[in-house]
Amino acid sequence: MTTVNDNSSEYITNSSSSSSAGLKSLITVIILICVCISGFISRLFSIIRFESVIHEFDPWFNYRSTVYMTDNGFYNFLNWFDDLAWYPLGRIVGGTVFPGLMVTSGAIHWFFHMINIPIHIREICVFLAPIFSGLTALATYLLTKELWSKRAGLFAAAFIAIAPGYSSRSVAGSYDNEAIAIFALIFTYYLWIRSIKTGSIFWSSCTALSYFYMVSAWGGYVFIINLIPVHVGFLLLLGRYSLRLYVSYSIFYILGLILSMQIPFVGFQPVRTSEHMIAAGIFILLQAYTFFDYLYNKLRYVRNIETIFFNLSVIISIIVFAIVVLLTYTGYIAPWSGRFYSLWDTSYAAKHIPIIISVSEHQPTTWTSFFFDLHLLICLYPVGAWFCVKDLNDERVFILLYAVFASYFAGVMIRLMLTLTPCVCILAAIALSKTLDYYADAESSEMVSNFDDSVSICDETENDENNQDLDNNAENIDETDDDDQNFLTSNIKIIVVTCIAMMLLLFIVHCTWITATAYSSPSIVLVSYNSDGTRAIVDDYREAYYWLRQNTPEKARIMSWWDYGYQIAGMSNRTVLVDNNTWNNSHIALVGKAMASNETEAYKIMTMLDVDYILVIFGGVIGFSGDDINKFLWMVRIAEGEHPKDIKEKNYFNENKEYRVDKSGSPILFNCLMYKLCYYRFGELYTDSAQPSGFDRTRSVEIGHKNFDLEHVEEAYTSANWIVRIYRVKKLSNRFQAKDALEKSTSSLSEESFEKNHRKGVILNKPHVKKGTKKSIHRT
Amino acid sequence: MKQFIWLFFICICTLPNVLSKEDVLSEKIQQLTDWSLKKPIIRLNSERFKHYVKTAPRNYSMIIMLTALSPSRSCGICKQAQDEFQIVAQSYRYSSAFTNKLFFAMVDFDDGQDVFQYLKLNSAPVFIHFPPKMKPKKNDFMDISRSGFSAEAQAKWIHDRADVHIHVFRPPNYSGFLLVVLLVTMIGGLLYIKRNSLEFLYNPVVWGMFIILAILICISGQIWNSIRGSPFLHRNPQTGQIGLFSGSSGYQFIAETYVVFALYILFHINEFFFRKIKYINFLFYLP
Repeated sequence: MTTVNDNSSEYITNSSSSSSAGLKSLITVIILICVCISGFISRLFSIIRFESVIHEFDPWFNYRSTVYMTDNGFYNFLNWFDDLAWYPLGRIVGGTVFPGLMVTSGAIHWFFHMINIPIHIREICVFLAPIFSGLTALATYLLTKELWSKRAGLFAAAFIAIAPGYSSRSVAGSYDNEAIAIFALIFTYYLWIRSIKTGSIFWSSCTALSYFYMVSAWGGYVFIINLIPVHVGFLLLLGRYSLRLYVSYSIFYILGLILSMQIPFVGFQPVRTSEHMIAAGIFILLQAYTFFDYLYNKLRYVRNIETIFFNLSVIISIIVFAIVVLLTYTGYIAPWSGRFYSLWDTSYAAKHIPIIISVSEHQPTTWTSFFFDLHLLICLYPVGAWFCVKDLNDERVFILLYAVFASYFAGVMIRLMLTLTPCVCILAAIALSKTLDYYADAESSEMVSNFDDSVSICDETENDENNQDLDNNAENIDETDDDDQNFLTSNIKIIVVTCIAMMLLLFIVHCTWITATAYSSPSIVLVSYNSDGTRAIVDDYREAYYWLRQNTPEKARIMSWWDYGYQIAGMSNRTVLVDNNTWNNSHIALVGKAMASNETEAYKIMTMLDVDYILVIFGGVIGFSGDDINKFLWMVRIAEGEHPKDIKEKNYFNENKEYRVDKSGSPILFNCLMYKLCYYRFGELYTDSAQPSGFDRTRSVEIGHKNFDLEHVEEAYTSANWIVRIYRVKKLSNRFQAKDALEKSTSSLSEESFEKNHRKGVILNKPHVKKGTKKSIHRT
Repeated sequence: MKQFIWLFFICICTLPNVLSKEDVLSEKIQQLTDWSLKKPIIRLNSERFKHYVKTAPRNYSMIIMLTALSPSRSCGICKQAQDEFQIVAQSYRYSSAFTNKLFFAMVDFDDGQDVFQYLKLNSAPVFIHFPPKMKPKKNDFMDISRSGFSAEAQAKWIHDRADVHIHVFRPPNYSGFLLVVLLVTMIGGLLYIKRNSLEFLYNPVVWGMFIILAILICISGQIWNSIRGSPFLHRNPQTGQIGLFSGSSGYQFIAETYVVFALYILFHINEFFFRKIKYINFLFYLP
């Protein structure tokens, strides 16, 4: 890349004398290639440090679905009923998933195999997000070019390629919907801007197609189908109506509506739910407005007709609004869904859906996280918005609306920082480009050489950017006032440009650092640093999941908290009770209740749910903070929401209303299943030489309840660092388990005598338990 | 025959006793029902408390708020707690769950200091549930430091303790609505008066200011403040030092966000006047 950089610098000297359009586009292409490559490379930290592996939780499900699709074909995938999840309910995957991601990687896989490159589907899944980040950079360039200028576009592309707000969701291995959805989002917006600029049917059809891709990829498509109508509405309000607008919106809405209903998961939602009603209302309004506009042009000779038309359009919008409200009340249109509603009424989720707020990415955003994810850009962002306001046109209204809405949503929910980032990059690029228009123009050749020296230490991408600016400015100087230039001496210009270059340099350092340290950990492989600075890889998760895969019967059912459902299904290929698709709150609450009850109560629930193994995550030995003991209060809360009689949160606090596992802890906590499974035989272990046995390193306390035995479960496996602990649920009778593969031949003499003595009772018990199971299934 | 007379005599003697006991109870219930039909919260003083709550024949439960409402006591949260308690009692009073098994009452500190002494309380407000026939246990004291004293929390607690489900019905808050109406009419009136010079509405600078303000409010973390309600500042209890910034990245103080807000605005003005720098430059070169 350094060679490329040198080349472009050489061209600069030529360009000041002979600036041909071809050279300009060549440099643009080179810069864009550099941007894509640097975006791709900056996302590979996790691969280099760990290995080519799928990250976290949701990506494991996507990966599993993709593998299923490539093995069985697309139509079988659409009809797939997954019996490994949500035992005993199962899950209809084809109808409850956005298939865009799987289809995309499946198509790439198919293409590679067609040209005889036998690449494994996993590699495609791992590298899909970095590849799409390059495409996102290109789309951002195109969008910014339409909004402002090519120079700003190059800046925006460079920013989006490395901004941590976007790379947080698109590092190699995070195989999630957002990886391709942001590209689809930006590209749809680009096509939309393009179509209202030209008013051509071709571009608006392209917008609809791109929108279709977005719908197939991510639930965030709702953002598009609301933002574009709002844009149209505002343009009408500002009196910027034109036939171009009419053509592009009508075509987009009709085609987009029909296409989006082809996705099984979306189905009839676009005509049945409130989230999509803004689009429909604006569509009707636009038809009416166009009709009146037509009449108005025909009947111009009639006096005072203007006010009549104005009143008519107001009346029609009120009528449309009233109809929507009426339909919502009568039940033809579903009201806002809970997740969507919680964006407006921020206390809604806290009151009604504890499972939504239990997820850390649904928290509101502090200003530090804004700065952490966007650094310099967040400061430049309002400035860019200001420049757009000062110089308003149809498409800049769009980016301003995007900015206001995305800022609000990002403030409410930290996860939506992702949709804000492209907008911030674009507006910051506009601000920077406009500033540099003043300060980095090639007034004298002497200054150019100085400037080149001053920024040659810069990162290659930014350097290219600045050079490009110089280059373009040489020709586009007529855009700015010639008089202004006289007052700016070259010295001041150099100082300002150097400062900006230094800030950009800091920005690059920050982005690289954040991406490397904060966002590149796969979270299924942990890393710990020893006292001498060497790295130690903690690979307990995969070790334990592989153990499950190898040592348990194929139909074994694993109970764990829902966080680990996708991973167990993906890596161990075993049936789980609950997983990260949190569609059934009462089922999750049942698992939470089992974890929070004492062993006898939990055993009843577990026999009811046919649980064979229990898996818990415990970080007390190596000090891993994301373990089940720390998540335990959420289990209690969710269980309390469904079973308020049996589980009470305050029982798990001690006298001082604290949640503690040391001696002062509550006895109910000490006797619940989760505590026992996590700390079983932990009291015999010395984790720290300076501390007594049973010292929990995550919570830095000696545990309060040490020597206890398990009655209904037995330890089956504990991973090297104790992070994953797996327990086997004992069956009611051992007698019939002798042949069963579940039981190893460990039955001792005493157990056998126990069986003989209680043979009669055991047989009598058995059908009774089965009855209970069936009833409970119906209830859940 | 003699035995019969004895028996008769015994019956005569015991009957009024039993009757009077039942009488007292029904009379108490009758009185309490009357009161609570009149006013959802029954105001008790020391004697009434002794009679209706402390003394024995009682088969109803009582939810009692002990509070200090008189201005001389200067109890700030007592007033809020009183309002919330009123809402719960009102909801109960007009709901279908209303029976003569549960009554809401309150004791003011100035009316019944003995009650506070009897229950060994030295703070207010306190919510206590008196279960039928028994003295309140530890769990019958509502833990307002933990759950707060909002009407919903109280209803939940009552549901836990007394097994009466109260659907809290808040009277709709008209003050906010009125404020909006007032504001709209004011703006409308202003526009109407100034209808001849509405150019400022078409001024992009004004709208730009609004947009920038909205963006700045969002990105400086004001939404977080309104959702989480963090303290304005942190004051170190030992040294009295004022901390403007919180140490962790997952937390912030309100003052801190204002500082950031101001910084962003500074940046903005700076950029804005970048353009004007030529004049400053011009001044420098003037002499």
